[in-house]
Amino acid sequence: MNFKEFQSQSRLYVIGALETEELEEFEKARNKFGKKAEDYIGECYGLHEAFALSLRPAKSSDAIKDRLMTMVRARKEA
Amino acid sequence: MRITKSRTRPFSVTPQLEPGAPSDLELMKAIQAEDPDALSQLYDRYNGILKALILRVIHNEAEADDLLQEIFMEIWNQAKNFSSQKGKPLGWMVTLARRRAIDGLRKKQAYARAEERLQNETEQQPDAWVHNSTEEEIVLSDTRSLIRKVISGLPPAQQEAIDLAFFRGMSQREIAAKTNTPLGTVKTRLELGLKKIYDGLKELKGEL
Repeated sequence: MNFKEFQSQSRLYVIGALETEELEEFEKARNKFGKKAEDYIGECYGLHEAFALSLRPAKSSDAIKDRLMTMVRARKEA
Repeated sequence: MRITKSRTRPFSVTPQLEPGAPSDLELMKAIQAEDPDALSQLYDRYNGILKALILRVIHNEAEADDLLQEIFMEIWNQAKNFSSQKGKPLGWMVTLARRRAIDGLRKKQAYARAEERLQNETEQQPDAWVHNSTEEEIVLSDTRSLIRKVISGLPPAQQEAIDLAFFRGMSQREIAAKTNTPLGTVKTRLELGLKKIYDGLKELKGEL
């Protein structure tokens, strides 16, 4: 696998769309390309952020935050 | 909503903060130091985005609220595992939220019910990527509107393949079965679509 092919596979990898048999080859290439590969995969995770921000924010109830913060403070004091 | 510029990553779509407000990274560092107020601020900043993502996966308001709470609890518990060298806080939170939402969907074995809801909601829901006929009627934020512009530039079949992979956690084979499309075609649609979005977002960076 050359680096251009690796880039294409990386974009599939970050959204979990690589099939099992493709993952093995991808991991080999990932090791082969080292830091360059890790940097590129890191960049591809920006797709997650973009997909989430493509959605209109949804409203959640105030009770959710109240419960969360109660749990967090209790966990911290425990 | 306005957005900050980033010179270090290929595309940055983080909402701009009020002057003097702590950055996401500063909040994450405070959460790592077990400061509940930092989590409270991060919640205020991103609960809407994460809830929208969860809803897009599980299509159930009550379950989405429960999951949102669990995810922020996990952010609190797992904050020590966040490393700014591997990415930005929002990306980390979205990755975590997506994984939890897809796990939740699978655990509840709700595929069939969600399928039915998705069918109904795709026709009614203005936020759906595909066949979004009412998009122009919605006042979109700058960021969302620009990202949507990139995504909507894709052929519907590519949008659908990416939508099913990202928001439903489907494998290529599952997408092929669901859409009655050859596996190789699904792979091509995903590859082409993701490349166009990736390249489009890089170009977008100049506009942001």
